[in-house]
Amino acid sequence: MKLIITGALARLLATTLLATTLLAATAAKAEDMVFTSWGGTTQEAQTKSWAEPFTAASGIKVMQDGPTDYGKLKAMVDSGSVNWDVVDVEMDFAIKAAKDGLLEPIDFTAVPKADLDPRFTTDHAVGSFYYSFVLAWNKGAVSGEPAGWADMFDLKKFPGKRTFYKWSAPGVIEIALLADGVPADKLYPLDLDRAFKKLDTIKSDIVWWGGGAESQQLIASGEATLGQLWNGRVFALEKDGADVGVSWNQNLTAADVLVVPKGAKNKDAAMKFLAAASSPAGQAKFAEASGYAPINTKAKAEMPADAVKALPDAHVDGQINLDMNYWAEHRDEIATRWYAWQAK
Amino acid sequence: MSVETRQSPPTFRMPAGFNGLLPALILIVLFFVVPVLALLLRSVTEPEPGLQNYAALLGDGTYARVFFNTFLVASVVTIVTVLVAFPVAWMLAIMPSALASIVFGVIILSMWTNLLTRTYAWMVLLQRTGVINRTLMAAGIIDQPLPLINNLTGVTIGMVYIMLPFMILPLVGTLRAIDPMTLRAAALCGASPFQAFRRILLPLSLPGVAAGGLMVFVMSLGYFVTPALLGGTSNMMLAEMIAQMIQSLLNWGLGSAAAFILLVVTMALYALQLRLVGARRMSGGI
Repeated sequence: MKLIITGALARLLATTLLATTLLAATAAKAEDMVFTSWGGTTQEAQTKSWAEPFTAASGIKVMQDGPTDYGKLKAMVDSGSVNWDVVDVEMDFAIKAAKDGLLEPIDFTAVPKADLDPRFTTDHAVGSFYYSFVLAWNKGAVSGEPAGWADMFDLKKFPGKRTFYKWSAPGVIEIALLADGVPADKLYPLDLDRAFKKLDTIKSDIVWWGGGAESQQLIASGEATLGQLWNGRVFALEKDGADVGVSWNQNLTAADVLVVPKGAKNKDAAMKFLAAASSPAGQAKFAEASGYAPINTKAKAEMPADAVKALPDAHVDGQINLDMNYWAEHRDEIATRWYAWQAK
Repeated sequence: MSVETRQSPPTFRMPAGFNGLLPALILIVLFFVVPVLALLLRSVTEPEPGLQNYAALLGDGTYARVFFNTFLVASVVTIVTVLVAFPVAWMLAIMPSALASIVFGVIILSMWTNLLTRTYAWMVLLQRTGVINRTLMAAGIIDQPLPLINNLTGVTIGMVYIMLPFMILPLVGTLRAIDPMTLRAAALCGASPFQAFRRILLPLSLPGVAAGGLMVFVMSLGYFVTPALLGGTSNMMLAEMIAQMIQSLLNWGLGSAAAFILLVVTMALYALQLRLVGARRMSGGI
């Protein structure tokens, strides 16, 4: 009897294994592909502006996955089992990941390069969109108008919790330095000691946001009175009628880029998708839906005039470009200090 | 079936009942032992062979603080859980069984609800503009919102709530096995209710408290979602630090080493508990 059970078990195991293999094989058919991004309003706009028209035109199905997880991406490449074909990542990560051999080179015979903004195009990445960190606040919870980053550190004038991006990434360090009086053209190399000293002055009043939806919730509910947000998330809040204010003073630009993980199973489909996503039409549609800026220089011509006004491009006065190459170079060293400081 | 029955009998005799254990054993080896060994291997080979990951973890003040926090949170959660669970378990043990099964149903039902949903619900309740603070302020009891979230208070509240069933269930088993006559006898001999509790009920229920407490403590040590959402960065726990090492720093070696240290400490605690309380009593058989 026991032997029979063992035999049955062995068969069950074998069937399960077979079933899993079959599932894995059908999960992404020859010409289908998987796109991974950060979820929320951003990925919705990417689906509508890029994936749906792309599928209609090419017949290639695009499955959505997410959120982007750098640990998962590395694990996939390391284990040789890559389920993601195109991934939306932060640009400093893309530069570092290309150096570490985690990315496929972009096939620029399939992806037209001529009109792409060279600031956001590398051998291993094409731009997804670029965005600004802006100062946003809940109008109901704040009296007066915060004018710039220094006000984030002024607990007397603007009491209440302030919210910053939780992960080690370009942005918060620069904000602290600007607030402390460092001129925009003297930001790099970053003076970490000075930045952390400045951040220490408001540390117990900081609530960290780990994702875009969280940042929206914190500001909209008034849980945090003011914060550093992605401009697209503020744009979405305004569209929903939330009572938020925004200051573009010294807005900090950074970019997301699209990459293809090394060993991606549907590389050809991925390159075709990149071509569609970075095309003037794809970029124009996405920018209109999200409030993030297009990385194709011809895209703005295809957008309605009032949509162009909502973009970071409309606020180039005092705009500061975060230095992605500096961050890619010093990513680990800054991150180690960042997390040690946070845990203190 | 004829194929199996014709096989020659095995020369090595497994202990009785071993075949029944086989499915569970295969699962544990495949999905636990093998990955743990792979983890151990990564922790001493990445980025280069050697013990530098362990040296970094044990020699750094930040990591020491995170380890300390992890044990602090797990201890506080365990103590509070025991204090809350004990009266509930005692009520359940002496209640008429029809009523008790309804209460049990409520407790079990909470375990079936998605963990993330329950944690977000606590966020809505606890935040500065949340239900609790708004109510207290409207009632005029406080005039500044209480800091109930993004700190140790928030983590403790959220985790105790999640851990309660794991404490109540073993405790009810132990308490039900206690003969209520012993308490009546104590009262007849002139013991006050408190004396009866301290000298009769508490000692007799210790095995259940120990079993439940250990389970809660060990589960709390590795908890991720609730501390990440309800806690602040200054009381970060080990699981969140491991997530940072792996997701943000891509430092799998360091993350694996931290995970392995946590595993070893947990197993050592378990072994210690076994020695102190005894394996037989731990499993509920008194």
